[in-house]
Amino acid sequence: MALSIHVPRINNNDDEVKVVGIDVKIGAHVKAGQIIAQFETDKAVMDLESSNEGYVLAINGEIDDIVKVGDIFIWLGASLDEAIPQQASGDAVDSTQTNAPTAKARLLLKEYNLNAHEIPQTGTRLSVADIQNYITATGRKPIAVNSTTVNYQEPLPTVTGELKTLKSEERGMLSTVLWHRDVAVPGYIEISYDVSPWEDYAKTFGEKHNLLLSPLLPLMAWRLVELSIEMPHINATISGSQRYEYQQTNLGFTVQAGQTLYLTVVQQANSLDPLQFVNRMVELQRGAAAHTLGAQELQDATICFSSMSRWKVSRHIPILPPHTSIMIAHTVGPDGLGVLGATYDHRVLNGGDVVTVLRKLSKPNPSN
Amino acid sequence: MKLEKSAIEVAIKNKIIEISESLGSDASDLQTDDIIPATGLIDSAGLLDLIAWFEASYDFKIPMSELTIDNLGTISAMAEYLLRSKNLM
Repeated sequence: MALSIHVPRINNNDDEVKVVGIDVKIGAHVKAGQIIAQFETDKAVMDLESSNEGYVLAINGEIDDIVKVGDIFIWLGASLDEAIPQQASGDAVDSTQTNAPTAKARLLLKEYNLNAHEIPQTGTRLSVADIQNYITATGRKPIAVNSTTVNYQEPLPTVTGELKTLKSEERGMLSTVLWHRDVAVPGYIEISYDVSPWEDYAKTFGEKHNLLLSPLLPLMAWRLVELSIEMPHINATISGSQRYEYQQTNLGFTVQAGQTLYLTVVQQANSLDPLQFVNRMVELQRGAAAHTLGAQELQDATICFSSMSRWKVSRHIPILPPHTSIMIAHTVGPDGLGVLGATYDHRVLNGGDVVTVLRKLSKPNPSN
Repeated sequence: MKLEKSAIEVAIKNKIIEISESLGSDASDLQTDDIIPATGLIDSAGLLDLIAWFEASYDFKIPMSELTIDNLGTISAMAEYLLRSKNLM
């Protein structure tokens, strides 16, 4: 029986594509995996490979034709005298005989959790307009987003461009941003503080341990670890309608290494002493600078610290990593004034909690 | 790169000048015995960039326990540390 090879979908927004290349002729023998044609949208070009070995019995299109995604483009047979199914001979099978939703319509169906069969169809295929009319008539609402899975379907811009695959750290950033947007209820608070006590404490600590690098930021992050032990509800997230308090503190700390922004993670920071913690953070920063960090060093942060003092910005408002309730935003502005801010998940913490954390963090632990 | 102290020192200083320029500082007057962190020319992240470059350029690894002011605090100390690590001093 003859086999059909269909016009491929290049992207979700184009239901039609242009034939820009046909590499076989009727009667030619092709192998499985052999490229047999090319199709183009205004965004990309895609090769069509033969799914099977066989002889080309029919080609339903010519170069520069606009063809519909999913239509049969080529018929293959085990022999040259094999018959093409009657309804499909000549032109491509008329896809309008089906009521398959268009690509955009399928996305809309998913957004509203609708079944295509329940919606009256005005044209040959179920369209976005059909669904929108149905939504208006029935008052349906989109379903709530409750997943942190990266499934990002932004319509392509109309300006010509090229899709690029994201690197793993870029996918991580996308996941973080989407969790912040779709799950957390973020707020931001900041206070100013006198930098002198921290600088004095870090200088003494560094000299005592003969450290090459200033331990200032690691020590401030360590203070946050101490606060997570003292105030366990800040080291938490929400699961269902309950607060999930972590039994360990995994301190996330942002490190800009070249063009890459890492969220390095000191696992079980609560089990370390201050010097061990400072050294671990330096190890992670060295790993980030060399781009040699492992997965365990970049995941499962439960509480976070970020500083942009290097750039002397007056304010930065971080994005909350998934399943965290607070990220400290530290900087020292061009005027030398210290700023401690925090992005927080309002489902877990209120403004009073955050101000308490920031005030405690603005000075070294008096018991040290 | 040449493994002679003076050549190593020149290479280190050039790298410090490059890093400090990216931070808006001018390290051209830095002396080989100046304590680098104390000059304020480059911050901790810049020092880490310097260390990463130092290790990669001379193909050696500095253990965490030896990441100290005594070993790496000045251009001169860095050059001597490298030569000691390579058993050339």
